[in-house]
Amino acid sequence: MPKVRTNRIKYPDGWELIEPTLRELDAKMREAEIDPHDGKRKCEGLWPIFKIAHQRSRYIFDLHYKRNEISKELYEFCLEQGYADRNLIAKWKKLGYERLCCLRCIQPRDHNFSTTCVCRVPQHLREEKVVECVHCGCRGCASGD
Amino acid sequence: MAHRLLRDHEADGWERSDFPIICESCLGDNPYVRMTKADYDKECKICTRPFTVFRWRPGRDARYKKTEVCQTCSKLKNVCQVCLLDLEYGLPVQVRDTALSINSNDAIPKSDVNREYFAEEHDRRARAGLDYESSYGKVRPNDTILKLQRTTPYYKRNRAHICSFYVRGECTRGAECPYRHEMPVTGELSQQNIKDRYYGVNDPVALKLLNKAGEMPSLEPPEDESIKTLYVGGLDKRVTEQDLRDNFYAHGEIETIKMVLDKACAFVTYTTREGAEKAAEELSNKLVIKGLRLKLMWGKPQAPRPESETSEGGTQQVAVAHGGMLPRAVISQQQNQFQPSGPGVQDQPPPMQYFNIPPPPQLDRAFYPSMDPQRMGALVPSHDGESKSGSEKPQQGQHYPYQAMPPPPEQYPTQLYPPYGYMQPMPPYQQYPYHPAMPPPQAPPATQQYQHSGPPRPPPPVSGPSTSAPPVPSSSGSAPPVPGPSADASGSSHQ
Repeated sequence: MPKVRTNRIKYPDGWELIEPTLRELDAKMREAEIDPHDGKRKCEGLWPIFKIAHQRSRYIFDLHYKRNEISKELYEFCLEQGYADRNLIAKWKKLGYERLCCLRCIQPRDHNFSTTCVCRVPQHLREEKVVECVHCGCRGCASGD
Repeated sequence: MAHRLLRDHEADGWERSDFPIICESCLGDNPYVRMTKADYDKECKICTRPFTVFRWRPGRDARYKKTEVCQTCSKLKNVCQVCLLDLEYGLPVQVRDTALSINSNDAIPKSDVNREYFAEEHDRRARAGLDYESSYGKVRPNDTILKLQRTTPYYKRNRAHICSFYVRGECTRGAECPYRHEMPVTGELSQQNIKDRYYGVNDPVALKLLNKAGEMPSLEPPEDESIKTLYVGGLDKRVTEQDLRDNFYAHGEIETIKMVLDKACAFVTYTTREGAEKAAEELSNKLVIKGLRLKLMWGKPQAPRPESETSEGGTQQVAVAHGGMLPRAVISQQQNQFQPSGPGVQDQPPPMQYFNIPPPPQLDRAFYPSMDPQRMGALVPSHDGESKSGSEKPQQGQHYPYQAMPPPPEQYPTQLYPPYGYMQPMPPYQQYPYHPAMPPPQAPPATQQYQHSGPPRPPPPVSGPSTSAPPVPSSSGSAPPVPGPSADASGSSHQ
């Protein structure tokens, strides 16, 4: 993740508008990375990482696809520099996955009986209403809820 | 993980299996259970050999359970792989062994290499098909075991464990915490050890059960010598009169058996007091029919009641008897009454709910005609006018008592009683609004049928007196076809 502004990188136009937010998000991520694990469960320690990664990718995706404030060039630049996750965004473009939390939750190989994570189940179909998925702490990322 | 694949499992004696040996309670109530199977996943808690671990969720509100001991160990003691309770009786090993006087403890070594060797040998023999001396299938169940055994699955043991953070007051997970937020039950029973439980030594639960078994009271005969009736409670629709007969005939001659399905009980009357006492002694605490544990108590006598006529005494009186305490309901003459009336009579509402008519006094002498308003020609109002549908519909059961008009003479003998409990057949002028030519009594009041025939019956087949017979007289033959058209009738009548 490039955190420093080097002279070698050519930033496309429009970069100055989004740069402050991206720097903030980067700082947030760094804090999450160095947070101590005391008082947290073993899986819980990773949840903020997933959350911030989701948030970052969401920002860039929204800017380009929803609000159209960014050119394609700048968008591609962000993806290449690692400010957003290309694969996650690819899922968001699909019907039913618009609010997907992370890529682990839809991977059947990571689950018993080849299912997806419980956070993908809509709340009205679930038995337990309040749930935090073990991978990313997601409380429900089905598109309907 | 790779080393597991490269080892020679046969040589090591590690155990593989296809399906766990578990009891019903541990398997759960869900017929669609999904189970994972992991070969050599954990070591057996008793013999410490690697074995196949099965893991599943026994029901919606259950935690995940997995097999704790290997199949060899479970077969040696005939216990469930998860809960270590006997497969047939659901009892701890110590209880079962003392009750059946089996002592296999010396044969199984408990320490170190001896134990592993024994387990392996046993396993090898079992796989080779040699029959080891398993006496569990051959032992006859004796009294104690029958008293103590568990007859229905017990799913409370599948609940989640207690949240230890909650106990300290520190649970930060809140609503999503999958563990139970209750205070733990402490006491002697909470210090259990899996090895002690398995070998049947020093098991607190077993000791408690055995003490309780020793003190289980036997059914004492009541002082009133005339009671020859036993009350059997906890019935289900699976238990038939024939089952009861089969169980009770051995102890004495049965006079009658009356089943009160509404209250899930039955009353068995013997011809002799000795027979009843013998049955009580032998069957108390041990009566299990078709897997249902039944409760056995002495019946209580019924208070003497005014009856206008013995055999046709007020059904309502009987109904009241049932509305009151059950064990009182059984006395032979009552039972005689019941035979003709069929078992469902207690469904009738108490006779006191008359609509506009004050209840007549219950005397055991004949009534005077002037005491019955209908005899004097008054018209008793009914809800649906002359349509019999009202009489059929229970509608808080209020109508029917007074629509239970004294039936026309030809029907009377078999009929149910009018609520007023008098016996005389009506004078002819009674017949007028209610009895067009009546088909012969479909009389035998089967109250249960009455309850079921929700939709009103079309007038012709069931008019007049038969409507007056509160229970729908229809025998089962007429019941099924009627609801069809009457359903339409009811539909249209509501529009």
